[in-house]
Order: sequence, then structure tokens, then C-alpha cells
Amino acid sequence: MNMLEIKQLTKKFGEYTAVDNLSLSVQEGEIFGFLGPNGAGKSTTIHMATSLLSATKGEIEIMGRNITKHSRFAKQAIGFVPQDLAIYEDMTAYENVHFFAGLYGLRGAELKRSAIEALEFVGLADRQGSYPKSFSGGMKRRLNIACAIAHRPKLIIMDEPTVGIDPQSRNYILNSVRKLNRRGSTIIYTSHYMEEVEEICSQIAIIDHGKIIAEGTKAELKAIITNQKNISITVRSTERLPMEQLKSIVGVNTVEAAEQTINISSAVEINNLNPIIQLLVASGVEIRGVEAQEPSLETVFLTLTGRTLRDE
Amino acid sequence: MNILRIAGKELKVFRDIKMLLFMLATPVLLMLILGTALSGNFHGTVKVDPIRVLYSYNSTSSAVGKQWEAFLLEAKASGIRFEEATSRTETDVVKDVQNGLYTGYARIADKGISYYGNSGSGKENGIVQGLLAALADRYRLTITETGLSASNGNYVTEASVDAVRQPGGLDYFAVAVTTMIILYSALTAGQLIETERSRHTDLRLLVSPVTKGEIFAGKIVGTLVLNAIFVAIIVLLSKYMFGANWGEHLWLVFLVLLTEIVLALSLGLGVGYCLKGNAAGSVLMIVIQAAAFVGGAYTPVDQTTGMMNFLSRYSPLHWSNDAILQIIYAGNLMAAPPAMMLNLGCSILLLALAIVLMRRREGL
Ligand SMILES: Nc1ncnc2c1ncn2[C@@H]1O[C@H](COP(=O)(O)OP(=O)(O)OP(=O)(O)O)[C@@H](O)[C@H]1O
Ligand SMILES: [Mg+2]
Repeated sequence: MNMLEIKQLTKKFGEYTAVDNLSLSVQEGEIFGFLGPNGAGKSTTIHMATSLLSATKGEIEIMGRNITKHSRFAKQAIGFVPQDLAIYEDMTAYENVHFFAGLYGLRGAELKRSAIEALEFVGLADRQGSYPKSFSGGMKRRLNIACAIAHRPKLIIMDEPTVGIDPQSRNYILNSVRKLNRRGSTIIYTSHYMEEVEEICSQIAIIDHGKIIAEGTKAELKAIITNQKNISITVRSTERLPMEQLKSIVGVNTVEAAEQTINISSAVEINNLNPIIQLLVASGVEIRGVEAQEPSLETVFLTLTGRTLRDE
Repeated sequence: MNILRIAGKELKVFRDIKMLLFMLATPVLLMLILGTALSGNFHGTVKVDPIRVLYSYNSTSSAVGKQWEAFLLEAKASGIRFEEATSRTETDVVKDVQNGLYTGYARIADKGISYYGNSGSGKENGIVQGLLAALADRYRLTITETGLSASNGNYVTEASVDAVRQPGGLDYFAVAVTTMIILYSALTAGQLIETERSRHTDLRLLVSPVTKGEIFAGKIVGTLVLNAIFVAIIVLLSKYMFGANWGEHLWLVFLVLLTEIVLALSLGLGVGYCLKGNAAGSVLMIVIQAAAFVGGAYTPVDQTTGMMNFLSRYSPLHWSNDAILQIIYAGNLMAAPPAMMLNLGCSILLLALAIVLMRRREGL
């Protein structure tokens, strides 16, 4: 069954098109990775799916039902984890979860049990009576998730749930996501961390400039670029890099230069390593190492857009 | 149910004892400071110079005449000398008052009393005005009996009080500070939606199967109850700790206060929806302070006439204070409905504005 179906969705803010004729579908039981750089339109898409924003054009269905016509049904089915922390600082962890779960119609003993269970899920059960101000960043993030899952939503949409936290908390969250999925929830996991998405997601869509530029399983996405190789060259400085000449070498698709590394994606069947090295040497670029890389999702993105996912 | 759930969340503030004490400290201190520092306005306990007041009497009504004579006797007993300005022109009289020979000049006519006070003698003026106000109050009743419309009266002071049970400084300011503090709750109401927005919890509320209307109503009901409890605490504190006089009809007084709370919250929401961010707060602050200033929060009776007097009629503080003082000191229960209607009427307009703006925009 289609858990979420987005059809030709467009969102304009004034003249600016944040989401551009985007279509995608998420099947029941998936952990769906929604990947894209800053400003790609991930949050905007998700906000339309959760009825926080109205679409300029297009249609959205949750479990086959239009979300504007069946607003209550759709809202009941979704658990939403906002990108920014959305918790009350003057309420305890338990009260936060209890309050939000209550808005979904849970009552009495069931509500209490669900709230505790959600806190257990994110490993905060022993801190349920504490106020969020005494929490670390990672704990707040976990509480942010707990508030969205107590009503046992069929579809959990997480907008960058791990942004800016320590590795330990991140692992905890990734594990909870897997557990939630096993418990029966379909999950949409938004991120610009390639590794996370590679680690937990069964299906992935890559979005850039409001458009889906690639979609499929991890393997399918990597297959897109099996005809591509990634050459990473470490140099002393990229100051004198002859960018245009480099790009004009036969087979070279994209060139990406950081301070001391040059990433080149190139057609796999053309052996152009010699002309590349020769050009660099002739331009006075001091080479320190050359490496041909395994294709990763990062490479997929690089190949498709000519940019890295995050500016680091 | 969802409304109650959201409303209940607003009441969590009461758990924060430190916060609560802080919130209560302000009005209580204000009452004490204003009430004791300005008590000269009410009692003879502070030494004042002999008070001399000129008056002219031009009423043809015998009912008014009787009242006036009784009043002169009363005034004499309290050590105030009323002298008739028999043959002098009004400009001369005004000059005498300006020069400080007299505290003020009262003109009694069929239509009411007008009073011109010396700007330099605030304390004395306060006393005279208080007395005249008391008269005006009884006078108003007399006029209605004789068939003249009370609204024609050009009364000196708006706080119509009974001379026998005139409010002491603390009594007056217990009322005035309470109504003023209520007005300040507009500030928190203006922030009501903004606080959800800044904590991003608005997103959570909006994605849940709760309607915008329920969220809105829940927030309002919550703050309303919160403020009502808060005001009740202030009233009871001032009554039992300082012995402030809240009269025999506390429930009615409280109803008037309640409608004023509704008005303040609506004002906050209305302005909050019209203007974004800090602008709303600044505008509200100006509105509140202007209303407090002209509405008699700092001075019990208008010491000026003209513009200020005119403006004061448009301060919600003014009409609420007026009604409450009437209830407490004149036992005039009928003073409550007009003030309450006025408060609720304005609230409905402001809330309607807020709702229209809310429905138009995306999000809360
Ligand atoms: N309310 C708005 N008004 C105008 N422009 C907006 C608004 N919301 C988002 N945008 C723009 O739309 C684009 C997409 O934003 P969006 O928040 O969806 O990106 P994102 O993929 O979630 O990025 P990030 O990883 O930084 O969260 C951005 O360029 C952003 O500036
Ligand atoms: Mg985002």
C-alpha cells in the first residue's frame, strides 16, 4: 500500500519555487530516506504533507486519501518530528509527551502508558520527571521524537532528527528509528547526512532545488553511477588549479575542489588519469596522493549535481 | 476536550512559585506605594492648608438645592470653607483660583457641577473633588427622579463615591491597581501565539488532529482562567492583608473584573495578530499606558479638565473603575451591566478581528 503519495507538488514563496513539480511515493513498511542539501526543499515538502503549508499545486495522499479532504484521518495517521526542537521547557519530559499524545485522542490509563512507552523508546524513561532545560542536546532531540510517536502513528515523518548532536545520541536515535519501523511504522527520514541514510534507509529519494533528482534503493542509486568513477587527488594547494582545462579533458564530468583535495568524477571506461596528472603537474600543482573511490551516495549526489551535499 | 487540554497547559505557570510571587509582588507593591504615598488625596490625616472654595449656584431645581445645602453643612464639618462668588465675574474668580487664593471654583447648575481647580494644590483639590463627586453621585440620582436625563450631567469626577464611605488611599488603589494590572495582561495575550511559534510547538499543535479554532479557544480559555485566578488572589490579598474595601458585592465586582480581563486578552490577541514580533508589544505597551494614565490609575480623580477628562471616557480602566467604585461605595449594582457590556462588546470586535486575520494566514 502507498503510505504517502505526492503528485506533482509545487510550492512557491512569491516568485521563488521551493518545491518544483515533485512526485514521490512511500510504501508501507519502508524507512524512506529523503536526502538533500540545505535549502533543497525537504522541509517545505514535508510541511505540505503534514498540512502545515498549503500546496501551490499538486496533490498529496496518505494511505490513499487526500489530506485536505480527509484532514483528520491524515493527521491522526502521522507522527511528525519537526526539524527544530518543539517542546515546552516549563513542562517535564513526561508532561510534554502526555500533552501532545493527548491531542491525538488518547485518554486516561492508555494515555499514561503510551507516554511512558514513548519515553522508553527513546531511552528517557528514567528522566521522565525532569525538565528539558536539564537535558543535553541529544536528550532534547530524543524527547522531540518521543512527543511524535506516543500515539503510535502509522507514518512517522522525521525532519533532520539528528542535526547537531553527539554520535552516541545519534546512534540511539538511529536504533529507535529501526525499532519503530519494526513495530510497524513507516518512516520518512529527512537528512543531509549521507552516512545515516545509507545506514538505515531501504528506499531513498534525493532532492535538489525542489526536484527529485534520483530515487531508488541504495543499490539502484549506486548503479546510476557505476559508469562513473571518482578520482580523489590530494594536493598541497589548489590555488593554481586549471579548472576549465581539467573539465575539458575527455571523460571528465565534474570537478570539485576543496583546499587540498580535488574530486573528479569521470566516465569509467575512459582512462584519463595520465592527462589529468600531466595537466596538474604542468600547472604547478603539487600532487601528494591519488585515489580512486568506491561509489557512495555522496558520489551519486556529486555526480548528479556537481556539488557536495554539505559545505564543509 | 482538546480545548480544555490546551487550556490546562496554560495553567502550569502556577507551579512556578517564584514566578507566581514575582507576578503578585508587582500589584501588591503598587497598591501599597500608591495607596500610602497618595493617601493625602483622601484623608485629613495629612496636614493641609485651610481649603477655601468659591462656588456659584444657578440651579432652579429644589431637589438639587436641598442636596447642595446639606452638602455645605457636611463640608463645613470637614473644615472646608465654601464661599459663594456672589457678584464677581467668572474671569475674576478664575484668576483668584490661579493665584492660589482659592483651591478651586465650583459651579452648580441644573445640568450638573463643573469644577475648576488650582493646578498647584493637588492634595486639596483631591479632597474637594472627592466631596463633589460624592455629591454628584447623589445628585445624579436626584436628577433622574426629577425627570432630567442623568447623562446630561457634567460631573467633575468620574469616580462617584459616597461621602460617608469614601475610599481611603488603599481602597482606591486596590481597585485602580487591580484594573490596571488586568490591562497589562494584554501584553501576555499578545504573546500567546508568538510563544508557541518561537518554541516551534505551533507546528506540533497544527499537525495534530485539533482544529485551529480549538487551539485558539484553548489558549484564550487558559489565559482567561489563569488571569481570573491571579486577579482573585490579588483582590483577596488586598482585602485580607491590607483591609482594602471591596464592598458587599464582591461577586459582582469580580464579574466586572472578569469582563475587563476578557477585554485585555482580546486587545492583546487583536493587536498581536495585526502586528508581528516586537511591534505588537510596543503598541500594546503604549495603549496600556495611555489607558492607565488617562483612566485614573495613578491619580484618583482628574486634576485637569478638558482634553484629559474627555480622553478618560475612552479608557476601559475608567469605566471599569467607575463601575466598581459605584458598586462598592454607592451600592449601585446597576453600574455593572453597562461597563460589562462595554468590555464584552469591545472584546467581541477585537476577537473577530483576530479570528479573521488568523483564518487568512497559514499556520497559527
Ligand atoms: N516561508 C518561506 N518563505 C520564503 N522562502 C522560504 C520559506 N520557507 C522556505 N523557503 C525557502 O525555500 C527553500 C527550501 O527551504 P526548505 O526549508 O524546504 O529546505 P530544506 O531542504 O529543509 O533545508 P535544510 O536542510 O536547511 O532544512 C529555501 O531556499 C528557503 O529559503
Ligand atoms: Mg529543513
